[in-house]
Amino acid sequence: MGVRKREPGKLTLFLRRPKVEQAIARIVSVFKYAFFAFFMFLMYLPIVVIAIQSFNTTTGLIYQFNGFTFEHWKNVLTFDLDTNLANAITTTLVVAFLATAVSTVAGTIIAIGIHSLPKKKRQGMVFLNQVPILNADIITGISLMFVFKIVATILPGTFGMPSLIVAHIFFCLPYVVLSILPKLAELDENLYDAALDLYCKPAAGITKVIIPAILPGILTGMLIAFTMSIDDFLISFFNAGEINNLSIYIYGGYNRRLAPEVYAYNTILSTVIILGLVAMYVSSALKKRARLKHDLHHA
Amino acid sequence: MNIKKLGRLALPYLVWMLVLVGIPLVMILVLSFMKTDGVSFTGATWSLEAWQEMFSVTDPTNLKILLDTFTFAIIATVICFAIGYPMAYIVARSPFSNKFVILVLTIIPMWSNSLLRNVALKNILSETNILDSLLSRVGMDFVIRFANQDQATFISIIVGLVLTYLPFMILPIYTVIEKIDESLLEASMDLGANPARTFLKVTFPLSMKGVTTGIIMVFLPCFSGFAIQKLLSRGTVYVLGSLIEANYIHDINFVSMLSIVILFLIFGSMMIVNKVDKEGATLV
Repeated sequence: MGVRKREPGKLTLFLRRPKVEQAIARIVSVFKYAFFAFFMFLMYLPIVVIAIQSFNTTTGLIYQFNGFTFEHWKNVLTFDLDTNLANAITTTLVVAFLATAVSTVAGTIIAIGIHSLPKKKRQGMVFLNQVPILNADIITGISLMFVFKIVATILPGTFGMPSLIVAHIFFCLPYVVLSILPKLAELDENLYDAALDLYCKPAAGITKVIIPAILPGILTGMLIAFTMSIDDFLISFFNAGEINNLSIYIYGGYNRRLAPEVYAYNTILSTVIILGLVAMYVSSALKKRARLKHDLHHA
Repeated sequence: MNIKKLGRLALPYLVWMLVLVGIPLVMILVLSFMKTDGVSFTGATWSLEAWQEMFSVTDPTNLKILLDTFTFAIIATVICFAIGYPMAYIVARSPFSNKFVILVLTIIPMWSNSLLRNVALKNILSETNILDSLLSRVGMDFVIRFANQDQATFISIIVGLVLTYLPFMILPIYTVIEKIDESLLEASMDLGANPARTFLKVTFPLSMKGVTTGIIMVFLPCFSGFAIQKLLSRGTVYVLGSLIEANYIHDINFVSMLSIVILFLIFGSMMIVNKVDKEGATLV
């Protein structure tokens, strides 16, 4: 078997010229960023529309822009809202804060537990932890509904706010655990041993040694949990009973006009989250720079 | 190794999972083969009624819905992949010093309520829409016209699904491409492969882990959800999820059977993910 040698055709030779090669590279790179920018633009288009609607004076058709107003923003900030919307927003935020707080604390403890298991058991637990993430939301919603309905026959009145909160904790927990596990894998286990050797109690060893080391993972998990919770529709839909959260409220209005304040609320909330993240990012970058300067100064 | 003693902290989680995942799973399985009154088992009888209702040859309405559901989910997933892979690749291979910022840009839309984003999308895709109303003031127009109502509904749903779930395709693929060792690509080029061949033989196979996760993370919600379909079709299109929505209060047996249909797909995907990604590194 001889090596097949391909003669370069005319086109290949033309393409191999340095100037042509450069031009092609430039066109490809322009095309690449245009592609990226176009789909980014498409993903942001609905958000732009939501923002526009939050300033729209229209009282009738939402498909027309009649004039500019701050009224809806003012109503949201003073919480002067339609009762249904006000209840939906309160429910969403209360559930999100509670579920995030509980799942962050519990998730940290569980992640430390899972990390400390022997390999086979650990893999089993990691797999089990992935079940709610990979499971379709609708199945999670129905499964939880079955359990909570049975619980409600024994403890009446638990189907509604309590079941909604437990459901949110249930689907937030795995994300917290999953964000912390990689940080635990990077942790030097000798540090914990050293802490116990120095007469630290296990609980103090966890809070003083392990938790500071995995803090970035905990914060990521917390952020994901909060994001998932405020946006959830399907799981809440089956477990909220008579209560509405914001997604259920929006879904319920699929064929009628939503209170215009919902657009303002959404714009305000996402702006606050984004500004918060930017502030966190900038402050950590500044700290890093200050530390670098400090180190240089003392070198 | 003192840290090994902390394993018992995971025990309550095992119990929690067994109660909230294990028990309902058994219930779904059993209930789908029964005729019961809600979740109470008094007066329950074994019955295949739910299954016959779904897979009946004489009345293919439900089968047609199943087929439609598959069609929407598969088309949306394929488009998400076709757009998401290049986007993830562009970010991961970009010369920008701060990929974090670009990555955050892809996540920001997720902090707006996803259903509200689809309500806004419905607005944009309508013949009289808010952008047109604004742009007409400066003498431009923005109208997307469709041949007929069916086409409008179909395209709207696909666009809604794609724009909602695109970040779930981009993120896992980005995560794996970012981690690919550059020296492998250099080695491939040194050995005479051109960029296209290097991509096909090195980059793409190494990114399969992220691709699998991405496809599953997009396909499953597209297949099992119903809210986006209902919002964008103004309630005219039925998918598998709509059947669950319509029956979850009155006919628990039918809903259990539908859940099993979805669960089959989920089990398949879990097996695949467990094979390619043991530690779940691409899931967050």
